[in-house]
Amino acid sequence: MPQEKVVLRNCGAIDPADIKTHRAREGFKALEKARGMTPEEVISEIKTSGLRGRGGAGFPCGIKWEGARNSPGDEKYVIGNADEGEVGTFKDRYIIQNDPFSLVEGLAIAGYAVGARQGYIYLRWEYSYLLDLLRGAIDQARAAGYLDGFRIEVRQGAGAYVCGEESALMESVEGKRGEARYRPPFPTVAGLFQKPTTINNVETLMNVAPIVLKGGAWYAGMGTERSRGTKVFSVSGDVARPGVYEMVLGSPLRELVEGLAGAKDIKMIQIGGATGRIIPYDQIDAPLAFESYLGAGAITVYNRSRGVLEIVGRTMEFLAEESCGKCTPCRQGTEWLVETLDRFRRGEGAARDIGYMQVLADTMALSSLCGLGQAACSGLVDTLKYFRDDYDRGISGK
Amino acid sequence: MGNISLTLNGTPVSAPQGMTILEVARENGIDIPTMCYLKDLAPVGACRLCVVEVEGSRTLVGSCHTPVTPGMVIQTHSPKVLEVRRVLIELMMASHPDTCIVCEAANCCELRLRATDLEVGMPRFRTRMHYFPVEDENPSIIRDMSKCILCRRCVAACDNIEGKKMFSLAYRGFETKVIYDLDKPIGSNETCRDCKTCITLCPTGALRLPMKFGQEKKGPVLYVKG
Ligand SMILES: Cc1cc2nc3c(=O)[nH]c(=O)nc-3n(C[C@H](O)[C@H](O)[C@H](O)COP(=O)(O)O)c2cc1C
Ligand code: SF4
Ligand code: SF4
Repeated sequence: MPQEKVVLRNCGAIDPADIKTHRAREGFKALEKARGMTPEEVISEIKTSGLRGRGGAGFPCGIKWEGARNSPGDEKYVIGNADEGEVGTFKDRYIIQNDPFSLVEGLAIAGYAVGARQGYIYLRWEYSYLLDLLRGAIDQARAAGYLDGFRIEVRQGAGAYVCGEESALMESVEGKRGEARYRPPFPTVAGLFQKPTTINNVETLMNVAPIVLKGGAWYAGMGTERSRGTKVFSVSGDVARPGVYEMVLGSPLRELVEGLAGAKDIKMIQIGGATGRIIPYDQIDAPLAFESYLGAGAITVYNRSRGVLEIVGRTMEFLAEESCGKCTPCRQGTEWLVETLDRFRRGEGAARDIGYMQVLADTMALSSLCGLGQAACSGLVDTLKYFRDDYDRGISGK
Repeated sequence: MGNISLTLNGTPVSAPQGMTILEVARENGIDIPTMCYLKDLAPVGACRLCVVEVEGSRTLVGSCHTPVTPGMVIQTHSPKVLEVRRVLIELMMASHPDTCIVCEAANCCELRLRATDLEVGMPRFRTRMHYFPVEDENPSIIRDMSKCILCRRCVAACDNIEGKKMFSLAYRGFETKVIYDLDKPIGSNETCRDCKTCITLCPTGALRLPMKFGQEKKGPVLYVKG
């Protein structure tokens, strides 16, 4: 299946600092069209499209919007999640750098559909250099009259991975410590400031304008049964051509990694970053879809010179450092795993710790409060299955 | 709000809408262990000890903060749940100092109680310990944060019951700590309300009354299994 530009339609084709160049390519046409429809019609179009969230969890976008629309209350919020903290993702940065207007347009359509007068874009601290560009896009859209009755505020994170998690992000916007909340209540019922809120990844919002313009059925015509449309991938690691690629969902991983990015001598591929899956080379023909592996589309390729324990251990160090510290399994579990994996990396592992790692991984997945702790062991569990020898070699005396 | 029907450990029960799983379970005589939960205060959801199995849910769910819904099928003590709770207790003990033998709270420590109840055996998960100097200069309170299991009861109690907001949380991950001020030891001149609320509620020996050792006999006998 070919590369297809939906999300990246304007990247490279417009001047990201000049709204006129964006309007010349149907910019804000979708917003105008949406405002001529009822909010319910807009939501129905998104539902028809089958668009699922691109931030990792893949929740159906239309259902989320409908939930917030139908929640009682006058005050509602929509949020664009530009925290992009997942290891190995850089697509949202590329999008904002090249086409900030379409993000603004997508968020404004979301606001209209949900019934929100206020929107936020949560920009990770490390992207401070994009702040002027993004604010410039919002100001130009406002000056052109596109944001009447809808305010967009950019909020900056302070450098915490967990603040990309929706509930921690809301705590952060409220000025509190960035920690996850329990659910229910879900954000669509009681989100930001306890008001009905939708939160969407940057890339999800980028799909909204084309869907409104061309119709949900057009979008649903691309992809697979449960993964419609296109996806933007951030490819990095041992590849000849790292970068951002947009492909129709369901395309084979091989085409992206070997074909487009030019990887050779692959040992394994991490899909979805630190909380993502790690698969061995022999699964390279898997389709890129929610049905198999996807996450937020981070594809990190490792060749045969890379050590499994090194990668899993360093991933765990990252997660331990980024755990918010609220719940027992993640706060304590990641620390034990860091120390244990470190022993294996030094060749001082204990055989029984392999079993304990599995027990702990189960507990963390079953009882952690948020996605960070729940998915922290995905790569560990995968590699214990596919690369068990590497762990056995880390046992003391072997 | 009407009553709803659900199934609790195989038995049909009815409960008012809006109640949490924990409340319904306790009302039906089922004891789900908790650590961060404080009756009448907003749930925290941090310790995860109260997790239960709910049919159709991918993960276990925290019973202290999850309201019952019609037709819910709940298992509060399935083997899966018990194993998870055991691991959680082990994780709370993973960085806890081995000083029970000289701890003032040893015979009224909820961590020990839960460990005994759940028959937590030899510890599988040991990590490095937290060593913080004992804060023992204040006339109202002694804090030994090495023993803290971050249940946050002291934070919630001081905020919500006493309205003093003496404590807050700082740092993240394994370094997370309940702090006073901008992470200063509670000095001799600092004045709290001297209400002892947090000390009474602390499940471990992290918060204690300033007392001369060996002058008073306290508490019931040691927890003995069997
Ligand atoms: C630890 C953690 C970090 C996350 N980081 C991000 C992020 O940086 N950007 C993002 O869009 N979603 C992130 N998410 C997912 C969000 O919680 C949320 O599902 C998403 O923003 C919803 O948008 P979507 O439905 O459009 O994907 C993260 C989730 C977890 C558990
Ligand atoms: S899983 Fe980790 S990051 Fe999420 S709430 Fe628990 S400690 Fe915080
Ligand atoms: S000091 Fe005691 S009450 Fe406060 S968080 Fe620690 S263990 Fe809980």
